[in-house]
Amino acid sequence: MFARSWRLILAILLVTGCGDKSEVKVADVQPAVSKEEAGKPVTGDWLVYNLESEPEQLNPLTSSDKYASDVLGNIFEPLLTREPKTLELKPYIAAERPMISQDKLTYTFKIRGDVHFQDGNPLTVEDVLFSIKAIKCPFVNAPFLRVYYNSVVDAEIVDSATVRIITKEPYFLNESQLGAILQLPRHYYDPENLLGKVTVRDLTQDPKKLSDEVKRFGDNFNKNFSRNPMGSGPYIFKTWKTGREIEMARDRNYWGNGKQGIDQTYVDQIKYRFITNQDAALALLKSGGLDFIERLTPIQGVRGTNSDRFKRQFQKFEYFVPYYSYIGWNNDHPIFRDKRVRQAMTYFTDRKQLAKTIMFGLAEVVDGPVYFFRPEYDKNLYSHPFDPKKAMEILKQAGWKDSDGDGILDKVINGKVTPFRFEFKIPAGAQVSKSTSLVLQDELKRYGIAASVRELDWTIFLDDVKNHKFDTVIMAWGMPAHEPDDYQIFHSSQAANKGSNHVSYKNPRVDKILEDNRREFDPKKRIEIYQEFQRILNDDQPYTFLFARKNVSAVQRRFQGVEVYPEGLKPPTWWVPLPEQIYGLVK
Amino acid sequence: MASTNSTTRDAVTETTEAGGLWSDVWQRFKRNPIALTGFYVVCVFVFMALFADFIANDKPYYSDYKGKSYFPIFRSYLVGLKLGKWPAELLNVEFKKLEGAKSFYPPIPYRPSNINLLEPLEPPSGRHWFGTDKLGRDVMAGMVHGSRVSLSIGFVAVGIAVLIGVVLGAIAGYFGSWTDLVISRFFEVMLSIPTFFLLITIAALLPPSIFLTMFIIGATSWVGIARFTRNEFLRIRNLDYVTSAIALGGTDRKVMFKHILPNALAPVIVSVVLGIAGAILVESSLSFLGIGVPAELVTWGSILHEASTTTYAWWLAVFPGFAIFITVLAYYLVGEGLREVLDPRLRGLR
Amino acid sequence: MGQYVVQRLLLLIPTFIGVTLIGFLVMRLAPGDPAELRAAGGLGGAKDASVSQDKRGVVDEALAQWRAQYGLDKPLHVQYAIWLKNLFTLSFGDSFKDNQSVWGKITERIPVTLKLNFWSLLVVYLVAIPLGIYSATHQNSFADQATTLIAFVLFAVPLVWAATMALVFICGGDFYYLFPPGGLESLDAAANWSWWHKFTDQAWHLFLPVVLLSYDGFAGLSRYMRASMLEVLRQDYVQVARAKGLEEGVVVFKHVLRNSLIPQVTLLASILPGLIGGSVIIETMFSIPGLGQLGFESVLSRDYPVVLALLAVTSILTLVGILISDLLLAVVDPRIAFGRRAQ
Repeated sequence: MFARSWRLILAILLVTGCGDKSEVKVADVQPAVSKEEAGKPVTGDWLVYNLESEPEQLNPLTSSDKYASDVLGNIFEPLLTREPKTLELKPYIAAERPMISQDKLTYTFKIRGDVHFQDGNPLTVEDVLFSIKAIKCPFVNAPFLRVYYNSVVDAEIVDSATVRIITKEPYFLNESQLGAILQLPRHYYDPENLLGKVTVRDLTQDPKKLSDEVKRFGDNFNKNFSRNPMGSGPYIFKTWKTGREIEMARDRNYWGNGKQGIDQTYVDQIKYRFITNQDAALALLKSGGLDFIERLTPIQGVRGTNSDRFKRQFQKFEYFVPYYSYIGWNNDHPIFRDKRVRQAMTYFTDRKQLAKTIMFGLAEVVDGPVYFFRPEYDKNLYSHPFDPKKAMEILKQAGWKDSDGDGILDKVINGKVTPFRFEFKIPAGAQVSKSTSLVLQDELKRYGIAASVRELDWTIFLDDVKNHKFDTVIMAWGMPAHEPDDYQIFHSSQAANKGSNHVSYKNPRVDKILEDNRREFDPKKRIEIYQEFQRILNDDQPYTFLFARKNVSAVQRRFQGVEVYPEGLKPPTWWVPLPEQIYGLVK
Repeated sequence: MASTNSTTRDAVTETTEAGGLWSDVWQRFKRNPIALTGFYVVCVFVFMALFADFIANDKPYYSDYKGKSYFPIFRSYLVGLKLGKWPAELLNVEFKKLEGAKSFYPPIPYRPSNINLLEPLEPPSGRHWFGTDKLGRDVMAGMVHGSRVSLSIGFVAVGIAVLIGVVLGAIAGYFGSWTDLVISRFFEVMLSIPTFFLLITIAALLPPSIFLTMFIIGATSWVGIARFTRNEFLRIRNLDYVTSAIALGGTDRKVMFKHILPNALAPVIVSVVLGIAGAILVESSLSFLGIGVPAELVTWGSILHEASTTTYAWWLAVFPGFAIFITVLAYYLVGEGLREVLDPRLRGLR
Repeated sequence: MGQYVVQRLLLLIPTFIGVTLIGFLVMRLAPGDPAELRAAGGLGGAKDASVSQDKRGVVDEALAQWRAQYGLDKPLHVQYAIWLKNLFTLSFGDSFKDNQSVWGKITERIPVTLKLNFWSLLVVYLVAIPLGIYSATHQNSFADQATTLIAFVLFAVPLVWAATMALVFICGGDFYYLFPPGGLESLDAAANWSWWHKFTDQAWHLFLPVVLLSYDGFAGLSRYMRASMLEVLRQDYVQVARAKGLEEGVVVFKHVLRNSLIPQVTLLASILPGLIGGSVIIETMFSIPGLGQLGFESVLSRDYPVVLALLAVTSILTLVGILISDLLLAVVDPRIAFGRRAQ
């Protein structure tokens, strides 16, 4: 009868569902092949990995999320990149590092003659110039990228292999920024050569004076290139199944094949699957549906991936990423204006234990804004230990005591009796921020400090941060691994106008140091300058620096050539020995 | 359709024996063992919510310290109500660390906010009967205190829904014609809005607070109650005793609230009970998604939220979820029992 | 009848405007600036509260330019009016996230949500109706009482709990692996798989989401079915049919069933929006790219065009659903007088 039929359907589904073994490839995985046996790199096989979120779009200039840049990094190439191990700048599309003029304002790049795009067309100086114009064009929807190139005032073609770029003021990172410009094919992104007549100098003028053609270019560029990137890189964009995956195929005619100094790639196809639920991703990794997870959650890294079976199939890598979390005290707040209070707060924070518990040991306490591995990092900085007694002493010296017996410290500030009450603002969904704030709240309660925690939607949170509407925030900065320049974060001029100095830190000596740093082109001198900078910050504690984070990645053992670099892993350079290749060849 | 005779008879019973009616309801309700069980379970949770501070607390009931007797839990109530102060020696003190103190603690000697970074994510054990979460907070304490949140949200949200729904439904049902038309269209608009979506939107976008959550759950769930009230008013309004009350010169307000309303409440009561269960479910979904509830507050839904990202910590999933389930089930059973008692011929109430 | 239909269709318009206006106001009046969000690189940083230092060079002009592009600098009522006007040409605008046409994004995901909801509805009805019939015809038997209790229990199980328990215990992880913890199909689902292979693969993936989405539906509906059948069984004409000597089976199927199915039809309209709402949790937890997930993400990223479009689409579907079920009701039960029946 009816009642039985639904049971029957369910039974069928159950049986056939379980019978489908296509995702389970467990039993017959061989143990890893040693490097000697692995032999030379060969092409073939696929690499399937997980992006935690679907990229919004793949327009090389207008997309602003990091998932897109992961994908685009395989399709487009810059003039200069960095040596993976030393992080020194090295030429890529450029034939050599640029010549820099005496006044540090003019950069002359010589372009390689053997580069061609994925459709076969050669890359010429015209494309280089076009790439610069596209960024500078005010109608291209990339206002946040453009701001980086505000210092570029002009660019021109000198001859068939040379481009000259002129900047506004000397800044040691200019070379790096200019080198980072992705090379776009003009014939593809501007088939009608709408930008042909306008010069880079024109583009820096008032947008209203620009011709209709320029406007048309901008509109066209914004609208029609979200899902069809084409560049000179080793991987060709193939398909994008919305909500599911992006497929890229290796370009067999890649111009860089076999060339010195150019990253060689072997995997025939890269598939990015979008899986937001990280447990689902791990389950998929274990069942063979993924080859690589770049970022396991700390719990997964420490617990879900330790079985013998897992170790036989996968290699795990733990490595630092350029990123640090911090507690930002609003330096304009009446309570936190006093640097002694900020120092005390750092003594109240048990950073070591937090790193062990909340971060599952996958973090190192840091005391400054510089990436661990950089030569500029001052290893001799004083690291504030967890010492609540010392903190209380400092507070007492600063005038805090419980004068009214209500259990909360207070002090007379600006003529008013101010109790030590404040609020942590954190974004919704940020686990580390939430845990840190709750732990601190609990700890501070014992000493007469009343902290509350307010969780806000990310967008609102960003708003409040920018507008300095907070007492304390717990956030993190993701940094590039190259030479540091904290001007925008700690210079006093950046405290106004919604700059990145949202804690309103103002120290004239630090200001001078940061300004000098920008103009200093000698790396050794910069290291000295920066050491002083870090020492001052350590004393001022505008932030309570928390941790540098470690990533844990898991890679299926059949992949060879997996190495950890300061900037992370480089999946496209991996390869699989022939006998272990699983996925078929791409047609 | 009932005949006019029985209508009048019902009406008479309804008006004159209001007090008698409710005790009769209780008698009949008691005869349904399942509903009765539900009722007792509800009582247990209400008790747990009211006396949470005495069931799970890091302060002891009684402490003999340095020769003096203290009653910390009671005193914390006094201090909270600003009727007393902590003696200096007890200010901000951790009772468990007091040397030489003889204290008697509640059965669960933790508050849900007690963080212990040395015991994170422990499975159920002698020290923590339901285990701990990732900050070392005792899950059982979280559940006991969480019942306060769930129940209070349930009651207040439904209270708001009843207020809005009854008033609007009464007006629509009593005055009829144009008023009814306009108000009924309004009902339709509210029905057509994807409520859960709206809830998520508001909860996600505004700073989280319990009051906000209570308010928006209430403000999005009153339509059912409104419609019942309207139907009842429409029906009762034409009964003889009402027309005579009006003829005798009663004002609209008096007629509505004194004569019609008490008798229109039957379906509303059932909706209230079911509504509380619904509100608890919605609240747990919201805090599961991580919205609507302040960070420091531990609720059943927030523990479940942690469970979904820490799947090996099964105790985080099993216990709070089970608590929600039992509470909701209990309310449903009570609601069903009430419905059967109040009018076995009422249909389509779900 | 025709007049009634026209009247109802006309009434749809103010209701629709009411719904979308409320949605519009809620979204726009809530705090949060999509321009700032774009500047910080989207929602990606929310999980660990991180902003990439690459994004630090944000300038007010850049933000203003971005806002001007989407007409966000005009007064609110003008924006709403423009949006309404664009509706007539079916142009929902472009998403803030990636400049893709909103309509395109929605139509991409409709099949997924539809699939999920269709199967859920199917399961709900296939399970509930027979269960309800059985319960009613064998009233107060052990089976009836057992199913009633089970229905209650199922109804009380919170969706978030059931879904979490599923993910913890049977989707890989530390315990059992019976079903995949997410996705619509296996990774290497190739185009050249047999239809059957593809079907079973998708069924395996969708099994849990469908069950989770529908269990409270079939608990509730079976109760309704039972109640309405009981109601009908009590009617005089059923007694008459029995007295006439008709077999019980015929009585049940020919007379009772048709009349007790009526209320179930009307319920369809109210179940539908509930499904789309309930999908949000399921879609998020099981990584299913449907409308619910799109809606939630768009709300969080203040992607106004997408949110408004979704609201418009779902409210139209709901309103039309209500209309259809009311019409069906009128068709099936000629006793009901239009416009004057108790709602």
